[in-house]
Amino acid sequence: MLPPTIPTSFVPHPAGAAPRQSRINLAGVFGFFSYGVLGVALALALGVFFYGRILASSQASRDAALAAAETSIDPATVENFVRLHDRLDSGTALLASHPAFSNFFALLETLMPVTVRFTSMHLSFNDAGGVKLEGTGVAKSFNALAAASAAFAADGRIKDAIFSNIVVSSKDSSVSFALTAALDPKLVAFALGASVQNMPVQGMFETSSTTTPLP
Amino acid sequence: MMNERIIPLVAFMIGLGIFFSYVQPTWSGTIAETKVAIVAADHALAAASAYVSQQNTLASAQNAIEPANLERLGNFLPDSVDNVGLILDLTALASRSGLSLSNIDVSANAVANSAASLAPGALPAARSNPGGSIDLSLSAVGTYTALQTFLAGVEKSQRILDIRDIVVRGSDTGGYNYQMKLRLFWLR
Repeated sequence: MLPPTIPTSFVPHPAGAAPRQSRINLAGVFGFFSYGVLGVALALALGVFFYGRILASSQASRDAALAAAETSIDPATVENFVRLHDRLDSGTALLASHPAFSNFFALLETLMPVTVRFTSMHLSFNDAGGVKLEGTGVAKSFNALAAASAAFAADGRIKDAIFSNIVVSSKDSSVSFALTAALDPKLVAFALGASVQNMPVQGMFETSSTTTPLP
Repeated sequence: MMNERIIPLVAFMIGLGIFFSYVQPTWSGTIAETKVAIVAADHALAAASAYVSQQNTLASAQNAIEPANLERLGNFLPDSVDNVGLILDLTALASRSGLSLSNIDVSANAVANSAASLAPGALPAARSNPGGSIDLSLSAVGTYTALQTFLAGVEKSQRILDIRDIVVRGSDTGGYNYQMKLRLFWLR
């Protein structure tokens, strides 16, 4: 039986071995973490640098392609297209509202009795875009004027026809009158289909010999 | 012992310095801006591609129109007012119709839309109302048949002319006195 004071080994134990081991591990962990942070930062820096180079190269190639596309655009061609578009667009709108008063005169010839005639007539557009008729005339008799009024009412395209200032002559029983009316917009609308076919290529206007009566 | 603690600390600080002085500013600065520029360039390239496609479509459509019809379209709505040339044509039409024109004048109520000025390098764009118009007043004497012929000629004129106002008065000579207001148009 060995006495308790005799050491079991001749190799000396380092003093405070257990506490020192824990301090070394903390430093190692911190060192590992620090080098890790540095490594990650360096890797990110390299990645950002090369990614930036790649993006810059990509942008440069796009800019070059864009410049080439821009130089391929001819402003004169664009102007040509825009003017053609404007011309077609405006032309369509103008044709849609193009008036043809000859339609009205043709209708008037058929509606008015031969015993009624106008001495003056004024056709004009009002502010709302409608056509207003104002006129004065003479009828051979009151019955003739009544027939004209009835014809206007029956046709319906010369609207709100109001005969006023009706004066019967004591000499020959003729009747003078004034007339105000509104015209149906369809009555003075230009018939597009027929006119385009008849539109002349040479010269601004049709000659009288080639004039085709409107329907 | 000190080196074992200082060197990792320096490495840590350098790592943080690299991140905050280069990585983060570059990522949120230059690279972000470049990405935005690339996206914008992609959109512009897509628009350019669409333009080329549209240009080809429009060129095909324009080529499908006969040159004679394009010329007629140009006469229909000309690029300039040219009211003097129009007055000559109206005089010739009146002469052919048997109508005697006595007075032709340009009315003051010209409706001319201001042409929008383009910035340098900017491409022209379609306008909402690109036309201009002026009124032309004229007086004439002639028979009713002559008026009918004249009206038909004006209504079917290759250059569009709107009769805005017409006054007919009888005369003792058997003919009629006419006053008309014609509106002529052009493309600005």
